[in-house]
Amino acid sequence: MAEQTVTLSVRNVSKRFGDFSAVEDLSFDVRAGRVFGFLGPNGAGKTTTIRMIVGITVPDEGSVELFGQKISSALQDRIGYLPEERGLYKKMKIVDQLRYFAALKGVSAADTERKMDFWLDRMQLSDWKKKKTTDLSKGMQQKIQFISTVMHDPDLLILDEPFSGLDPINVEFLMDVISEFKTQDKTIIFSTHLMETAEKLCKDILLINKARKVISGSLREVKESYGKNLIALRATGSEAILSDRSIVAKTDVHADETIVHLNNGADPQLLLRRLIDGGAEITKFEEVEASLNDIFIDKIRGNHDNQG
Amino acid sequence: MKKFLAVVKHEYKKVVLKWSFLIGTLLLPFLAACFALVPFIIFSLKGEPTRIVIVDPTGKIEPRLKANLSSEKMEARARKAAEESLKDFTPSQEEQIKRGSEQIVQQFEFISYDTKGALTNDIRADLNSMIVKGEADAYLLIPEDVDSGEATFEFRSRKAGDVVVNESFRQALDDAVRSQRLADANISEDRLKELTHAVNLDSKGIDEKGVERDSGGTYVASFVIGLMIYITLAIYGQAIMGAVVEEKETRIAEILFSSARPFELMMGKLVGVGLAGLTQLGIWVASAAVIVSIIALQTDMSALIGTLPSISPLMILYFLVFFLLGFFIYASIFALIGSMVTTVQEGGQFAFPPVMLMLVSFYFSIAVMRDPNSNLSFWVSIAPFFAPITMPVRILSETPPFWQIGLSFIVNAATIAGLIWLASRVYRVGMLMYGKRATIPEVWKWIRQA
Repeated sequence: MAEQTVTLSVRNVSKRFGDFSAVEDLSFDVRAGRVFGFLGPNGAGKTTTIRMIVGITVPDEGSVELFGQKISSALQDRIGYLPEERGLYKKMKIVDQLRYFAALKGVSAADTERKMDFWLDRMQLSDWKKKKTTDLSKGMQQKIQFISTVMHDPDLLILDEPFSGLDPINVEFLMDVISEFKTQDKTIIFSTHLMETAEKLCKDILLINKARKVISGSLREVKESYGKNLIALRATGSEAILSDRSIVAKTDVHADETIVHLNNGADPQLLLRRLIDGGAEITKFEEVEASLNDIFIDKIRGNHDNQG
Repeated sequence: MKKFLAVVKHEYKKVVLKWSFLIGTLLLPFLAACFALVPFIIFSLKGEPTRIVIVDPTGKIEPRLKANLSSEKMEARARKAAEESLKDFTPSQEEQIKRGSEQIVQQFEFISYDTKGALTNDIRADLNSMIVKGEADAYLLIPEDVDSGEATFEFRSRKAGDVVVNESFRQALDDAVRSQRLADANISEDRLKELTHAVNLDSKGIDEKGVERDSGGTYVASFVIGLMIYITLAIYGQAIMGAVVEEKETRIAEILFSSARPFELMMGKLVGVGLAGLTQLGIWVASAAVIVSIIALQTDMSALIGTLPSISPLMILYFLVFFLLGFFIYASIFALIGSMVTTVQEGGQFAFPPVMLMLVSFYFSIAVMRDPNSNLSFWVSIAPFFAPITMPVRILSETPPFWQIGLSFIVNAATIAGLIWLASRVYRVGMLMYGKRATIPEVWKWIRQA
């Protein structure tokens, strides 16, 4: 049932800076207990949108509703926001910084100590509690920033490129923590360029480009609507048939297979028949779904083409 | 409100727990205490008494000299010296005078010596050998013709560097010889005192109510107060700018703004750092009071106390109020600059206007010291930006009527309200603008837009 509850509702939101339109008429919902992938190229308007959600800036038009209410200081305490550009006080002890950030989120002193020790222990940073930021490695600082984002036990977690600068082991570790939040019915908005990661984590996605929505929906819906016009092919003697632009839009040659992009509405069976008739020796012929990466690149390029 | 207090606490601790703050706050009183107390401690250490041989062929000086070095005479002289600066003595000061005189008297021990009618040169040689053998510490050879202006008194001592003993001895001898000369000339000592009494130039200011005020040390004290406020404002203003730039540079602002309102954050910063400044001034004022009261217990230094202007608790309250006014005026300007720039170095270039304003205020305060009631003094002690430094100086030099202090307060409080309004608008936009320094037209746009 929880899945039906809407945590965040963005309605016709626009934000402009002078003549520059950062976000244009954007609407979407984020459902409770789901991981929501907020995707888009650099400069698409992601950070501006997130800033409006967390109440740092106010939209010029439209409304943002969080937990069914307009954003307020009290609601801010229920959000954990990890910005893409983030930092810590350079010359301050870790323990003092975490206490301050917790106090700003309205966590009581006793709770702060308990939660801080719990998270430092989990992140294997307990020995660094009394150290200053400058003594920590970049990855450790990242983990401290993550702790400051979750220490107040937020209901909505907004993570903007949380994995940048982390080694694979820590990425894996952080993924586990995020998955845990998912099982606790927390809502997570996850913004990234890494489509593989988004594909692994997100149930719903929203792709924006140049201030506007490009696609949205559940990952499943998006992929299905994109169609199954991709074929993973391993064959010899297929070159002539594949260069026939009446069926095949383009091909991507990978190491051990070729990804064939069919034209819209083209029948995979027709291609198979042509290949056999053409005398090709086929060891693999499989209809595959477009990866999120493909969709992303295709949509953004298409967007550019439309504009151009 | 809870978040605001969290910010205040954070900013306060950040300043107060720094080594530079601890050193700055404690070192100044410590140095002052050293200057004031170390001589006091050293002089009160009781040394070995000085054993003195007096050779007096006249037989007239020696009894007078010994009488002058008795505790009664010493006490009377100390009392007279102190009376010039203090009108009434507290019981503890009385006690001090008594104890101090006794201590000095105990420093002298007279050894009787029989000249046996020997020649002066022989006596001198004999006494020198006594000193070498350690049988005596000093000797005084009194010439036969005391009344002659060229008469030389030979004083030789192993402890030539003992200033306290030597000075007391010299004074006692001086008095003894003078009274003997007067007696020889048949002049009454009391009559002479009346005739040669120094002119008493009573230099006191008169304030508008016609009440007399001491003006001796006022000039110095005003200068010190003006300088202290100027330096403290400059230091804390720059501290604010540094803290703002750090949060912008490290992008902490983004996290802070998602947790509390920018206005709360900025005000919390100003109030927290302001309280830290107040703490420092408070410690300085308190330790100054302690040091002055300790000095006041010293008879030797009591003359110095007399020259200090009387500073009432009300004046101290005024100083703190005007310090706070100045702090909020300059701190909000520095916060505004900090949120415009990208690095502290860049901020340094932009800090020129407020630093200039503070410097000009300080120069004006010197003009105020020289003539606290001129038109210029009136205007600069009311005007925004200048009053926080000039008004305390004026209050100390010659307290203006209350309505002027009140007017100055209102003018400057209104200035603060306006500056904070401006700064908070620039702050909430500027803190999230990374990459390049904002231009003045951009900042103007933020102010109008927000």
